[in-house]
Amino acid sequence: MSDLDRAIAQLRACRPIPEAQVRELCHKARELLIEEGNVVTVTAPVTICGDIHGQFHDLMELFRVGGDVPDTNYLFMGDFVDRGFYSLESFLLLLCLKVRYPDRMTLIRGNHESRQITTVYGFYDECLRKYGSANVWRYCCEVFDYLALGAIVLGASSTLEPSKKSSTEPNSLNSTQEYIDSDIEIEVLGNDDNVISRFPRKKPNSGALSKGNSSSPAPAKTGPPGSGASGYSGGTTGNSSGAVLCVHGGLSPLVDTVDKIRLLDRKQEVPHEGAMCDLLWSDPDEIDGWGLSPRGAGFLFGADIVKVFNHANDLSMIARAHQLVMEGFKEMFDNSIVTVWSAPNYCYRCGNVAAILELGEDGSGDGIISRSNGDVGRSDGGIMKEKERVLQRGPARRYRVFQAAPQDSRGMPAAGKKPVADYFL
Amino acid sequence: MSSSQIPNLLSSRGGPRSRGRGRGRGGSTQLSAASRRDLSIQATDTDAAVSRLSAVSMGYLDDPFAPFFVNGQGTRRLPIINRGTYARTNALDILIDAFLSPSSQEPELKQIVSLGAGTDTRYFRLRAQNRHHNVIYHEFDFPAVCAAKCHIVESNKSLSRDETIARAETVAPINTGSPGIAEAEWQLLRSVKDRSGGMEAGYICHPLDLRELPSIPGLSSFRGLKADLPTLIISECCLCYLEVDVAKDVLKWFTDRIPSIGVILYEPIGVDDAFGQMMVENLATRGIVMPTVQRYKALEDQLGRLKELGFGGDGGSTNAITIENIWEEWITTEERERVDGLEGLDEVEEWQMLARHYAVVWGERGSYGWETWRNLQQQTNPR
Repeated sequence: MSDLDRAIAQLRACRPIPEAQVRELCHKARELLIEEGNVVTVTAPVTICGDIHGQFHDLMELFRVGGDVPDTNYLFMGDFVDRGFYSLESFLLLLCLKVRYPDRMTLIRGNHESRQITTVYGFYDECLRKYGSANVWRYCCEVFDYLALGAIVLGASSTLEPSKKSSTEPNSLNSTQEYIDSDIEIEVLGNDDNVISRFPRKKPNSGALSKGNSSSPAPAKTGPPGSGASGYSGGTTGNSSGAVLCVHGGLSPLVDTVDKIRLLDRKQEVPHEGAMCDLLWSDPDEIDGWGLSPRGAGFLFGADIVKVFNHANDLSMIARAHQLVMEGFKEMFDNSIVTVWSAPNYCYRCGNVAAILELGEDGSGDGIISRSNGDVGRSDGGIMKEKERVLQRGPARRYRVFQAAPQDSRGMPAAGKKPVADYFL
Repeated sequence: MSSSQIPNLLSSRGGPRSRGRGRGRGGSTQLSAASRRDLSIQATDTDAAVSRLSAVSMGYLDDPFAPFFVNGQGTRRLPIINRGTYARTNALDILIDAFLSPSSQEPELKQIVSLGAGTDTRYFRLRAQNRHHNVIYHEFDFPAVCAAKCHIVESNKSLSRDETIARAETVAPINTGSPGIAEAEWQLLRSVKDRSGGMEAGYICHPLDLRELPSIPGLSSFRGLKADLPTLIISECCLCYLEVDVAKDVLKWFTDRIPSIGVILYEPIGVDDAFGQMMVENLATRGIVMPTVQRYKALEDQLGRLKELGFGGDGGSTNAITIENIWEEWITTEERERVDGLEGLDEVEEWQMLARHYAVVWGERGSYGWETWRNLQQQTNPR
């Protein structure tokens, strides 16, 4: 067993590794990350995850639900640290897995992977408490500076493969062919692969064909039972390409192409403004164009911005994290952007469920066209609206929704103490 | 999040000897379940004092008295908690300022009764603004809490200022019906304004387990409590810890005896959704149970609660607003920008959710003493 495997085993048990080992790990991680571009290319199949926020036991639950590393290829969209009680163990475990299986683990930067934010929201204090000095925090922050800013997922399938467990259920679709025949675009799975809902792909919205067939039988509710969820996700008519851009926050008025992201100098603390800041801080909102963000950093951006950006860059979708959604995921703007949130019962207080997004591998040959970026001949977004859209199939999405790890599995070190969330008393 | 590390101020300072040094959890097996629950409720005051100090030291609130009521340095709270503390404190300040604002045709003297006041600093803040002359300020809390507060005020000159602390043993005894608690009563005496050299009580701290209030015969059982003054009852997360009927009887005890009376309640609401259920569950693990929030789940329920007690009569009104709306509608844009600039708040969704689960509810009845307060209502409800 190598030192790295030993460290992984120790961290999996939620026990911190010695400072010297953290230092070595961070050094190796930096050597690895420095070779990555600002926008990492990832090939499907991949499981896309949102915020973790130091909820170590829920991260273990995520691996249980989504499959272990390296069997599952993971892409984490940042915010590994702060808020929860185990930022250190969570981040170091992810980092160990990154170093051990570099091609099966993609980590991109969230707005909490920053010196300034971690001093306010807990990671700094946690390092100080667990090591007695800020050294480990400093090593981790140096790694933060090297994390990629985004990722492009290529080669995602436009049809779903049956989930391993669901194929044994009576009311389930059992073969890839059945998924294709039913034209399932989105599937939401809960505990033990129970199907919560399925959404067929929307039919083309023009011509005589659609008139008699305009309403797809999509259920009104998408969240897991009992959550009162109403996350919007109807079917979609596709875009002209199948690539998915993953970024922690969202878009920036200073970034109209993916290539502009590639040109940024990322190896620094997250600035207070500018393109890099926006990518990590912005949020989609029901507005036209750009708006001021209530967070005090980044911007709000509307459906028009997303559609122009996706078209100009041959993207079928943007996947992002950053915002708590009670249902674990939320698709917006005609499925052109999705928020994935992977911290269940956020801060041990919010009562939300979490989700991960699985994009399958395009093995059938009728999948989507993959391009990592493409500003070629697409610089004018204004003309695009006039053009007749070519119907393309976007990636098929399987969301796995999960709850917080049971309290008794948490094995709280301090004499069975449960986490204490703040309230006004 | 970090409140587990915060020492329980009141159990370590001047609490009754018989209670030992229990910190509310562990090591206190000799306590009955009921007294452990009471200690958990008393510890909520420590929690509130730490939150107040956090908001003060981060620049949200100006309260030079906050540090006296926290042991040591205190703990820095998260920005949403600081913002909530700020919004709640401001909401009560706005309402209380309106109540105390003088109006020519009105009787000069008014009365405030703060239930479960704990280490609240409002009286000291009013005095620092020189706004305390026309008010008799009463606080009610557990005897141990009152004794601890007295001890802190005695040992810090800036809390007593030019006022004289009078403990029960130095003034004529009063029949409280509960002889054991009389010793913890204390007051702050000030010179009366007519330059006669006489003294009057401006602040009186009444030691009482509020659950006993309904069995106490009358106002005269409490020093300085008057029926003929416009009286404002304040419950900042106090009545919510009592059983629904007891909480109602406590308010009714005052409304039965004081004709011109108003009330401000601050407590959680909305316990039926996922966030609310988790709140109930989390607080239960800390031994904190809030029976009233199960009964009054929405703003409308809270309004009905006040109406049932007669608030809204005699030209009065009843009102309710969430902390989220207080932040958005009562705090000026400039002030919000200032506060936003203090820490940066990366918890927008969480803030909205948290702030939607707390409400300020207020109402009054009576023909005198409420003019400025009612003017405020017209301003805050322009529609």
